[in-house]
Amino acid sequence: MLEPPKLNLQIVTGEDLREELCERLRPGEEVEDAQEIPRRLPTHYFRVPSWKAALEIELAPHFGLWELIDVDVREAPSMRSFPRYIPCAITVLAAHLAILRIEVGRVIRIAANGGYRSPAHQLSKTASPHSWGTAANIYRIGDDLLDTRERVERYAQIARSILPGAYTRPWGQRPGYAFDHLHIDLGYVLVYPHGEKALESGRESAEEG
Amino acid sequence: MEQVTERKLSDIIERIAEEAGARAVAVSVYDYQSERAFSHHGDEWFHAASTIKVPVLIGVFAAVEASLLDINARVQVRNRFLSVADGSAYRVESSRDAGGSVHAQIGKTMRVRDLARQMIVTSSNLATNLLIDVIGIDELRAALDRLGSEGIELVRGVEDDAAFDQGINNRVSADGLVGALRLIEEGALSTSSSDEMLDILHAQEFRSGIPAGLPDDARVANKTGEISTMAHDAGLVYLPDREPYAVAILTAWPPSATYGRRATLAALSRAVYRHVVGADDDA
Repeated sequence: MLEPPKLNLQIVTGEDLREELCERLRPGEEVEDAQEIPRRLPTHYFRVPSWKAALEIELAPHFGLWELIDVDVREAPSMRSFPRYIPCAITVLAAHLAILRIEVGRVIRIAANGGYRSPAHQLSKTASPHSWGTAANIYRIGDDLLDTRERVERYAQIARSILPGAYTRPWGQRPGYAFDHLHIDLGYVLVYPHGEKALESGRESAEEG
Repeated sequence: MEQVTERKLSDIIERIAEEAGARAVAVSVYDYQSERAFSHHGDEWFHAASTIKVPVLIGVFAAVEASLLDINARVQVRNRFLSVADGSAYRVESSRDAGGSVHAQIGKTMRVRDLARQMIVTSSNLATNLLIDVIGIDELRAALDRLGSEGIELVRGVEDDAAFDQGINNRVSADGLVGALRLIEEGALSTSSSDEMLDILHAQEFRSGIPAGLPDDARVANKTGEISTMAHDAGLVYLPDREPYAVAILTAWPPSATYGRRATLAALSRAVYRHVVGADDDA
């Protein structure tokens, strides 16, 4: 029997995080999405000790952890510094991207700020699957820069055809649309690794002991 | 600079402009050696073109000093900006942007420091808009106001055609640009910030304006600006064995006058140089 790949990343919950990180990550809290539907934020995270570790860890064939956690100055400073805490659902996203890569047969590039963003990221104005680790903004596939309607829609069609349940944003310039990348997300997926119980809220659970 | 020679320099400027077919010319000079200023239509407003990048550079370093961002902070390189005119999205055309190396980083990140350098050295419009976007136009303007900057109207990013169509443009005066250069030279921010800004300006790749009118041993920290009807250059000129001078040369042209603009900037730079160093003839 084949051993599943090991990430060698510590799993932590909201209970384990210090106050400052909890204020940023808001484990288990409800936040509203753009349609004002409440969504419960993740409670279980991989602890990524360093950028070096992120560079070395492969979440799926051809997808390193670093590709899905690259952020810029718009991310809150405490969320940019290591150790960083990334929702466990990031592995599900990586698996889906790996399937897409097999289908297109070309390198898939995720934009900075285009993978995981904390709820404290300046672009996280409402709940977005990026804060669940289940969304990716793809800016390039092979040599194709996804900056035209034709390219974005072509690859969106491919993604939807092979990834059941995946959502792609329509092409356009209005909020909720994308015109210089392909946005793929899997919705608000919560992952509780084996041996971990679901938490309502990291802080509340900690207080309840 | 005595009054009589200032009149003479004004005459030379007018003659050069007339012979070249320029629609308007403004020249402003501040000489640290004599501590004198010269201004020929120095308070007249011009479309800033890429000279606006000097005030943006100052605003970037002011933001760094105010701890609004780190000079090494990473910024996502994304070619999507919102017009100040109507909020519509627009892009910087790579074919119109001299800073092609920034376009090559789309999707990735670049450090604030590297964007600032590309904004000046290769006059990258994309780098400029990214910096304006991440700091905010209001913050940049506030920083310039705090520094007492006048003669600079920073209202939008570059290549915002919707704003251009509505007459919403970045504007500068020659006096304003000289004032901005003096903020850098005189260390209005910290000395380290001034040193780094000067280092960036000294690396300028476009040398056909002010530098072309100077002797070979002159060092120039400058920024050019050119659109269909404007050709500008502004810089700090360092000559051996004397204090530097700041100079801004702004020229407006009919759209049909596509030749001789840079030669005119060089000729005006030469006239200013001869005036500043006290050369006899009028170039």
